[in-house]
Parts: sequence; structure tokens; C-alpha cells
Amino acid sequence: MLELTCLIPFIAGIIAIFLPIKIGRGILVLTALSHLVLTVMAWLGNTKPALPQYFSTSPEGLLVLLVTSFIFLFISIYAVSYLSETEITSEPIYIGCTLFFLASMSMAALADHLIVQWIAIEATTLMSAPLIFLHRSKSALEATWKYVLICSVGIALALLGCFFVVLAMDIGNVQGAITFSALNKAAAQLNPLWLKVGFIFLVIGYGTKMGLAPMHTWLPDAHSEAPSPASALLSGALLNCAFLGVYRSHQLLFQAGLGEFSGNILIGFGLLSMLVSAVFIYNQTDYKRMLAYSSIENMGIIAFGVGVGGLATYGAVLHLIHHSLIKSSLFLSSGNILLGYGSKLIAKTGNMAKVFPKTFVAFFAGFVGISGFPPFGIFVSELLIIMGAFQQGRNISISIFILALVLIFAGASRLVMKISFGKWDDDILLDETMARVLPSYALLLTSIILCIWLPDSLYQTILSAIATVGGSVNG
Amino acid sequence: MIHSAEILLSLTLLSVLLSLTSHRLILLIYILAFQGIVVSLVPLFHEHNQAMTMGSILMLQVMIFIKGILIPGFMLSAVRKIKIRREVEPLIGYHASLFIGLIIIVVSAFMADRIQGSLPGKSSVLIIITAITTLASGLFLLMSRRKAITQVIGYLMMENGIYLFGTALARQTHAQHIVEFGVLLDILVGIMVMGIVLNNINSTFDDVDTVHLGQLKY
Repeated sequence: MLELTCLIPFIAGIIAIFLPIKIGRGILVLTALSHLVLTVMAWLGNTKPALPQYFSTSPEGLLVLLVTSFIFLFISIYAVSYLSETEITSEPIYIGCTLFFLASMSMAALADHLIVQWIAIEATTLMSAPLIFLHRSKSALEATWKYVLICSVGIALALLGCFFVVLAMDIGNVQGAITFSALNKAAAQLNPLWLKVGFIFLVIGYGTKMGLAPMHTWLPDAHSEAPSPASALLSGALLNCAFLGVYRSHQLLFQAGLGEFSGNILIGFGLLSMLVSAVFIYNQTDYKRMLAYSSIENMGIIAFGVGVGGLATYGAVLHLIHHSLIKSSLFLSSGNILLGYGSKLIAKTGNMAKVFPKTFVAFFAGFVGISGFPPFGIFVSELLIIMGAFQQGRNISISIFILALVLIFAGASRLVMKISFGKWDDDILLDETMARVLPSYALLLTSIILCIWLPDSLYQTILSAIATVGGSVNG
Repeated sequence: MIHSAEILLSLTLLSVLLSLTSHRLILLIYILAFQGIVVSLVPLFHEHNQAMTMGSILMLQVMIFIKGILIPGFMLSAVRKIKIRREVEPLIGYHASLFIGLIIIVVSAFMADRIQGSLPGKSSVLIIITAITTLASGLFLLMSRRKAITQVIGYLMMENGIYLFGTALARQTHAQHIVEFGVLLDILVGIMVMGIVLNNINSTFDDVDTVHLGQLKY
């Protein structure tokens, strides 16, 4: 039963809220493990959905589910150690909400029905809001308020987009369920005008959640105010689920023969996000905000790659996987930095190479990876996107793309150098432990391994996921 | 029957304009309650739905209860309990807001005229005008008012607009249920979370003014 993938974390979350903290932590890790097992079973095709009219295993959904489940396991191991070091008044609620969050993200990944997916993405907002508000400070409150309000407006517009898609169905006299699989088959009969209008609303709605500029304003606040394991989840898993909504809408338009229209919109949003993050990353004073702007940039890269099509789409999907691995690792390291220096301000950190050598290795390697250097996977994915864009003859947009990449690297490296080698002669608050460093190492190592050796089933799934939006490895 | 639908829609438009000019918070909530009831009644008189089933009538009652009684009541009690100051405190003045509201109506009339040609069947133009106006004014109210609770009111107005849109567009039976189900969840979700957050905003700041939420810059 495929739905167990969503049900088990949900039930575990309810249980964890009512149990003592120590057992709750155990439940968190256990659920993460069993979720990974269920995901692998779904991946192998051993589970069938009990409600096939609402859920299905689409290749792109499986990819997002696997990434989510994989990084969730490491984040939950980290979270156990992190939670024992920090004083949180409502830890059972944190654990419960993390598990609910996992449940809603799995639902978004497995949903086939237009409205079920919408409900799932709405639920992710609801479940993750308490995670951001965990520290109950004034700024955490502001971040939560912005997050809930902006994302609710976005999700309301996405609902309007769903209505328009249904209207396109009505006008085209398409009968049957409102599922992506059914719609893709009947795509040619859908009314093109309303499909386009629907796509615009869906992209604005889900794009808000995904952090595309100019709807990104909630993202830096939420990512910087949430406790680090939650930031890692937001950045590594939630953004992918929202992207899935955009991707599926793009798929629908591509099947209807409007791929160029939706692709150009995605390219526009993608480039704008990259430029916005290049501007704002330069003068950041807060390292978690720096990472958050880098997430906006990477979501922009993914949207750009999908919009370009061909080889670039393959690059974009690879980018999605590697960004999740590396960025969640970076956020986990940032949690160690926060615990060690006691401040999120870059000015109050420094000389990490001496003070926290283990965290330094993870943080610096993560930075090297996210900037697109080998041996990490983002090097490959960005190279493929650039090659794909040249093949499609998009010379102007690829120049903007490369310019933004260079600017972001220049801006961020200055800050990372300050944290790593800058002056620092104060007392550290808390020493690093292996339990809080190993998950970051594991995530980074996975990125390196996937860069050298991509399992065949993963490769085939990526190929079948991108085939529906006109992507292929042969350009 | 069609006339009653048009009366309802005119009342909705009126409530939108009133909400843009109202000075007092309590009045604004009452207007919202009124608007919620009127908007939920529209499907009853809308020309597509000649045959009402038991299910859709039940749904209608639920909508009226939620939009007209439950949520406004919840907000009223929030205002009373946490002693929010009773003025609306706009960032854009009432007269300017009213003027913008009128401009929105003109623009939506223009848009509805363009849209109508591509719609199936004979949908009334007024329902589309009202839907776009409510949606856009809700967004405007959300952006132009300072207090957190007025932002919630703007959001709910936006929801009402989306609900009207759904009513205007829904032609076949399967679409109709989607409209209602989706909005039900959306409203509940929006208000519950915002209500909880509102409570906390108050206890942290002793005020529900989002101007104080200005700590996090760029």
C-alpha cells in the first residue's frame, strides 16, 4: 500500500506528541528509517496505491520522494543530537510537526490528483510553520507570519490555477478524473487559452512556495529563523515538493504542445531568481540568510534548466538531487556553527578552520560543492545545463546565467572566507561532536558518489521523468 | 432566479467597497460576515445549478456557517480577547482606497468582457466582474492595512473572490465539488494558523501591528 508512506509518519507524529522526549527522539529516527524502506519498496515497484484515482508513482514523484526520504534520515539523526544541546520548550511538538511535515511532503510527491497535490502542498505550509516558530522570539514570529501569509496567498492563487485547468477540461469536453496522468493523455484536447492562464497561476502559486523571485521574500526569513535541522528540511525537501507542482504543470503544457510558452516563463523566473540572489547575497551579515539566498539561486537554476529543455532538463533534475544533498549538509553545519559561536552574524564568527576543524571540513566542502566545483555533483549538473542551453541556442539567457553564477560565487566566497579564516579570539560555547558532523559528511559523500557512479535505476527514472517535458541526454 | 443572483452579486460589490472605507475593525468584521453569507448564497441562484441535490444544499449550509458565522465570530472574539485597538490604521487612506476599489471594478469589467467570449455557455458577466473585484480588492486590503488581523480579513476576502470564480466557472458536477472542498480547507487552514499566530503576536508585542514586524530586513 503506497499510502503507508504518508500514513506512517503521520501516525508516528501523533504518537510522538504525547510521549516523553526521549522516546519521541527514538520514534523520529525509527520513522525516518521505515520511511526510507517504504520509499525503496515503492521505488522497486513492490507497492501499489490503494487509491489509484488520487495517488500514483510517477517517475518525478519517486525521485523527489527518494531525495526527501534520504535526507530526512540524516537530518533526523542530526536533530536528535541538536535537540539535546538546545533548550526548546516544546520539543514533542517539534518532533511531531517534523513527522507531519514528512507525511505531507510524501503526499505531495505521490499525489496524482490535481487537488490532492494542492492540499498536500498547503499542508506542508501548515506543518512547517510551528517548526519556524520554535524559538518563539520576535524575529521568529515575524518570519512565521511572513511565511504563512505569503505562502497562503500563493497557495490560494494556485487553487485558482487548478480551477482554470479544470475549466480548460470542461471547454475541451474532456471526461474523466482530474489527475495528471489522465490530463497528460488528453492534453491535446484541453483548451489552450485557459491552460495557459492556469499555468501562470500555478507557477505563481507553487513558485511562491518554491522561492522563485519575486515571490521569494518569505524564504530568507524562514530559513534563517528556523532551527538548523528544520532549515535543512525546508531547503532540501520542501522546495523540491513545491517544484514538483511547477514541474507537473509544465509537463501538462508540454504535452498540450505549449511547452515553449511555459518554458519561457520558467526561464524568466529562473534568471530573475538568480539575479536577485546575486544582488542580495553580496552584503549578507547572517550566514544562514546567505545559505537561504543560495537556495533561491539554486531553485532558479532548476527552473531555468527545466524551462530550456533537452539536455538542460537532465542537468536540472541532477541539480535538484545534488542541491538537496549539499544544501541540507550546509544547513546542518550551520547549526554547529550557531551552537559553537552563539550567533548567526558572520561578524561574530571566524577562524573556524582552527576552532571547529570537523565542521569546517563539512562547511567548506559544502561551499565548494554548492559553488559548482568538482568533485561534487553540482559541477556536472551546471555544466549540463549550460551545454543544453547552448544547444538550444539560448545565448543571451545563458550569459545572464553564467554572470549570476560568477557574482554569487564572488559574493559568497568573501563571507565564507571570513567565517573560515577570519580573526577570532573568544571563547567557544559548545564543542562539535561526531554525531553532529557525520550526517553532513554522509550527505556530501553521497553527492560525490552519485557524481562518479549513478545507479542504473536512478538514471532510467530520471530519463523517464524528463522525457515527458522534452528532455533527453542526447540534446 | 437570475435577478436574485444579480442582486446578491451587487450586494457583494457593495460590501467590497464598504470594507475598503470602513474605519472601525468591528464593522469590518461584520461586513466580512455579510459578504461571506452573500457569496455562499450565490451558487443557489446561479443559472447553471437548476437541480440542487441534497449534498450541494448541505454544502451550501456548511459554507454559510463557516464564512458567515464561524470565522467572523472567531475574529470578533480574538479582537475582544486581546484588546486590539479598534481603528483599522490604513497605510493608504480610506478615500484613496475607495478610489482604487472603483478603478478595480472598472478594470475587472473590462477584463470580464474579454474573458466572457471564451467561456462555455452563457455565464453572467456580473459574476466574473464581482469575482475579479473581490479577489483584487482582497489583495489590496491585505497589502494596504497595517494590523495583522486586517491582513487576515483581506486574505479571506480574496478567498471569497476565488470561491465566486469557482462558482462562475464550474459547469460540470465534478468541478463543483472541487470548488467547495478546496475553499473549505483553505479557509479553515488560513484562519486556524493565523488565529494561533495572532494570539502569539499579541502576547509578544502587546500589539497586533505588523509595522513592529520590521526586524528582518532584506
